[in-house]
Amino acid sequence: MKIGFPRAMFYYDTFPFWAGYFEALGIELKVSPRTNREVLERGLKKASDETCLPIKLLSGHLASLPSDVEAVFLPRMVSIEKKTYMCPKILGLPESVLASVPEGLPVISVDINWREGKAQVQKALEKLGEQLGKSKGEARRAFAKAQKYQQVYEEMRRSGQGFEESMRYFEGLGKPDGKGVSDAGLGSYGGSHLTSSERLPTIALIGHPYLTYESYGNLNLLSKLKAKAKLVFMENVEQVQIEDHLKDLRKPLFWSQGKRLLGAGHSYAINQYVDGVIYLSCFGCGTDSMTQDMLARRARTHHKPYMVLTLDEHSGEAGVITRVEAFLDMIERKRIGLSNKSGYSSSSIGEINR
Amino acid sequence: MSTQNRYFLGVDVGSVSTNLVLLGSNNEVVQALYLRTQGRPMHTIQEGIKILREQIGSSAEIIGVGTTGSARQLAATLLGADVVKNEITAHAVAASRVRPGVQTILEIGGQDSKIIILRDGVVVDFAMNTVCAAGTGSFLDQQASRLGIEIEEFGPLAVQAEHPVRIAGRCSVFAESDMIHKQQLGHPLPDILAGLCQAMVRNYLNNVGKNKDIQGPILFQGGVAANPGIRKAFEQELGQEVIVPEHFAVMGALGAAFLAQERVSMQGQEQTRFRGLQLAESSFQARSFDCNGCANHCEVVEILQEQETLARWGDRCGKWSGTLKNDERVSEARA
Repeated sequence: MKIGFPRAMFYYDTFPFWAGYFEALGIELKVSPRTNREVLERGLKKASDETCLPIKLLSGHLASLPSDVEAVFLPRMVSIEKKTYMCPKILGLPESVLASVPEGLPVISVDINWREGKAQVQKALEKLGEQLGKSKGEARRAFAKAQKYQQVYEEMRRSGQGFEESMRYFEGLGKPDGKGVSDAGLGSYGGSHLTSSERLPTIALIGHPYLTYESYGNLNLLSKLKAKAKLVFMENVEQVQIEDHLKDLRKPLFWSQGKRLLGAGHSYAINQYVDGVIYLSCFGCGTDSMTQDMLARRARTHHKPYMVLTLDEHSGEAGVITRVEAFLDMIERKRIGLSNKSGYSSSSIGEINR
Repeated sequence: MSTQNRYFLGVDVGSVSTNLVLLGSNNEVVQALYLRTQGRPMHTIQEGIKILREQIGSSAEIIGVGTTGSARQLAATLLGADVVKNEITAHAVAASRVRPGVQTILEIGGQDSKIIILRDGVVVDFAMNTVCAAGTGSFLDQQASRLGIEIEEFGPLAVQAEHPVRIAGRCSVFAESDMIHKQQLGHPLPDILAGLCQAMVRNYLNNVGKNKDIQGPILFQGGVAANPGIRKAFEQELGQEVIVPEHFAVMGALGAAFLAQERVSMQGQEQTRFRGLQLAESSFQARSFDCNGCANHCEVVEILQEQETLARWGDRCGKWSGTLKNDERVSEARA
């Protein structure tokens, strides 16, 4: 059996989990192609105008699934950790994008709610397995594999492995010739952690994974930045550290991703080896409207250069380039102590004081 | 050759205006041109060069060129620039040369607005307006013509106001309907204009200036700084003096000229890449085409001088822009 998996939203942080689950059940996942102009345009036509860019992209990917899939998988990610929720737009999936699913294609869904604890998730996945004609035992083993894959992925990312290379690895699994993750585990990954050129500034790029790694949607931001800076991400920060950096909040944040963004962002804002923090957001994001401002205040307290980049489907490359260049210039000129005062001559440049 | 005849050229090509500044060897502004771009940036740049040449004579030597503005890459290709910089850096450099110790720059241009925060001569924070063009020069232009006044009269009239009316400045469409409503109620024109200035300033400070630590000295630059009504509204809202520098309308170009000077003196670059003043006569062409190499269908722009391709851009993958030797010069200069 082949099931379609849209390269959008939850793909960017939980694909390894699902790759493990479905591989164990002997089901092949077929991911939609990388975003391109056609995918985005299909999304814009199908999705509600009021929603955010990532949901529009999800719609586009649903309409761009390979034609040989027998169903599409659209989980409802209610919560990915205790005491938190995903954003309301994510809770509204899959129903809010059903109109974008090709006609006649069955939708397979499952509620994933870690808020209620592991037992609940296991129960939900057993039920999903049942729908797919698998036994409880098979589903339970698949759940174990899913968790293992996800853990391996997160380790890979923490150790500095890039998103693309990590995902390529998991996309290669679950195929007939896939090798699976060996028990030898993590030894072969990592190594590249924070050790590139000394001369480049270090920039922390904070943002929802479905924006940070969506290279079409973010106008190739990563490769633009990589040419001029050493990048660190939210994924490089350990969960315990994230919790640590949120201790002083008066009330706990109840959005799973907002919490990670703020905690990781704060850890970079106070890190002396990080030259600046860029928060990548998108127009109409409710949770970001809070967290980007909270992080701005923290960054300012620590005199850390900070910039918010807001994307939507109208984003022009020029605007992003100008902001990124200005941000990097700001850091560079500060670093080399190139005060703009040198060479000033008072000769004929005056000012009008009316 | 005497140093008297050697200049740095700064060019700022924005959506509304194209500005050129010639900087002399004593850091004096020898020429400052403010031309309307009118949707024809290449033509306007050539026009500007023509005017400059008439002023300084063809024996004058340009020893460094810097470009900035939204068409900075295009300008760099045409002119052969030594440095290509974003508007934020260019404005900041110009402001801190003109007024050392400046801590805040308010800049409002034709289609965009920005705020730059400096401390000890270094930019520490900045912001630019988002997609919305409410509260930029174009909107003021539009409203002036709707009210049947010249844009030059706008500010002087606004400062005469006794009771500025309150106008919603959040969105230019709403601001306009609010203004019409106030007109129909019989409010005098100066009060409406002053109200509009206050609304624009409020909008600017709430959006672009949000979260920014605005401290004096404050410089107000960009085309809109010509409007004393806006300046007054800023002073009222911020409770301190707002300085409009002499060359407020061409600060981006001035900054680009200083950056060219910096590049030439710091990096010991011997020769400028400038194509020469005769480029005013050269025939430049731009054409564009859709690349069909993949589903992205990038719109590629190609710039030609006398049928020879100078540069291409617009492609995401580098298939077109990467194939040109000439383009390396542009990308080098961009760094």
